[in-house]
Amino acid sequence: MAIENIKTSKGWADQDHVPGLKSELLELNMGPQHPATHGVLRLVLLTDGEVVYKVTPVMGYLHRCAEKIAEGVNYKQWVVYTDRFDYLSPMTCNHAYVTALEKVMQQEVPERAEHIRIVVSELSRMASHLIALATFGLDMGAWTPLLYCFREREVILDLLERISGGRMLYNYMVPGGVRYDVPKDNWASDVIDFITMIENKKLKDYNELLSFNKIFIGRLANVAVIDPQTAIDYGCTGPVLRGSGVKFDCRKDDPYSLYHKFDFEIPVGMGEKGTVGDCWDRYMVRVREIEQSCRIIRQALESLPDGPYQAIELKKIVKAPAGAAYSRVESAKGELGHYIIADGGQTAFRNKVRSPSFCNLQVMEKVGVGLMISDLVALIGSLDIVLGEIDR
Amino acid sequence: MDQKEIYQLMAEKLGTAALGFSDEGVEACADVAPERIAEACLFLRDDERLAFNQLMCLSGIDWDGYDENGKGKSVKILGYAEDGQPETSDHVSEGDFGVVYSLYSHSKLHKFTVRVRVSRDKAAVPSVAQVWSTADWHEREAWDLLGISFEGHPNLRRILLEEHWVGHPLRKDYQMPDSWDNVPLNGQPYGNNPFPTPEVTPDPTLDQPAGDDPVEG
Repeated sequence: MAIENIKTSKGWADQDHVPGLKSELLELNMGPQHPATHGVLRLVLLTDGEVVYKVTPVMGYLHRCAEKIAEGVNYKQWVVYTDRFDYLSPMTCNHAYVTALEKVMQQEVPERAEHIRIVVSELSRMASHLIALATFGLDMGAWTPLLYCFREREVILDLLERISGGRMLYNYMVPGGVRYDVPKDNWASDVIDFITMIENKKLKDYNELLSFNKIFIGRLANVAVIDPQTAIDYGCTGPVLRGSGVKFDCRKDDPYSLYHKFDFEIPVGMGEKGTVGDCWDRYMVRVREIEQSCRIIRQALESLPDGPYQAIELKKIVKAPAGAAYSRVESAKGELGHYIIADGGQTAFRNKVRSPSFCNLQVMEKVGVGLMISDLVALIGSLDIVLGEIDR
Repeated sequence: MDQKEIYQLMAEKLGTAALGFSDEGVEACADVAPERIAEACLFLRDDERLAFNQLMCLSGIDWDGYDENGKGKSVKILGYAEDGQPETSDHVSEGDFGVVYSLYSHSKLHKFTVRVRVSRDKAAVPSVAQVWSTADWHEREAWDLLGISFEGHPNLRRILLEEHWVGHPLRKDYQMPDSWDNVPLNGQPYGNNPFPTPEVTPDPTLDQPAGDDPVEG
């Protein structure tokens, strides 16, 4: 609704019941430095009391124009920039880029490398979802789950440090494989131990502490409902789309890597506590995805084949033949796509990144209208955005 | 549905505006006349046999200096020279702009890619924000970074850069600025303070600094 219409609408004028006292819409800046915006995001709110009339996201505070940098550095050098997009699950960002690049290069990848990629991607996805649960609880006023989730995330970071050498930003995948092989010091069995612990104990803890907490449910059920048509129309993907009841996951519906080999389910929102597509559904999809990630990791590690883990020698500079392709993977936040145009040289001619948070955030312009400000915080938390990916 | 069949359905509807189809590369794609792209997209979305209800990606491209032979000899982009000054070039940009629409259908589970090309001096494409809402921000991004204008867009403003930024960075002839808002960007060492303290010359008309008198009483 345009601002002018709001100002002259009847409901608006009716509130001036005290003679001589006029009220008007209040423009409110939420962010860029705000604990509930999950990064340097600024929301320009137009509010009437506690109710949001209009919400305009303003972003770009982290903009580095990584797509321009991609045109200046060679293919392998740019892997490191993909880490910085979604810095909470950099492995899936690595995976998205190398998958797209290998599609343009028509490069085969050894089976062992694909298995390792899947294991680290799923670990990264779990780490990202744990942060999502933790910060979402924090937004809703629950402190304790934050400490629990960060404790488990710490284990994942340690495991990924052992395989890649980095704790947060890994630069682990290279075109044609991965940078290092699985460490010999029981890494695989440590991962299995960890996911067994998550499956058997930790998920129950989270559910008791947070998911089925009465206050938490009361705060989220029936809040900021995104219906399936809106979700698809606005290009929402990942847990946001699945929370609305659409059973779509790139890992199943547009299989890449070796995901078609593994047995797992796609959790969708079912409206257990309220309406399909409310904040609680989006939250619960993430909890259930952690469980499915555990299943995938277990299968991938138990069937880890022997053989090479790199198809191209690490020192070699890669070239891609002229051509263009769009390729997408399911990152922790949704569909992460790369449109790469190659001209036969060492550098991409154009590398467009379609980031899931960018598209998921846009739906807020529609769904955020009419919410209370405190419910808007719930909406932001349930969208689980990362600003490094939106601004690129 | 097969890519070729999708193109034929679209070509029946569009007639001469469907410019061609290529499936030689990694990914098949169709070329459409830019002035009828919004109509083509509406058809692709609404036709029951196609039902492309999701726009996966909308990419703007500056085709200037693209090496057609595939030898990797495209025009070099301009950065900063070693002395920290922005690089300049005599190259006059003349290539077209392009927009690529990557589509997906949730019900039919097929993909399709549509491309348009517009000339550099008339870089305007009809907007498809009315067809898919997600195109709104994608088109704003293409406007922001490449300067492709989208006719009929409800709110064509910069999205990632500041409102008063000059130029469009993803253009191949974009020259890096040497300063922005009086902050030098020309690769000065970080140790140098970009805001040096101005030298203050004491005013001889003032005997002593004011405000330090002891309060009496």
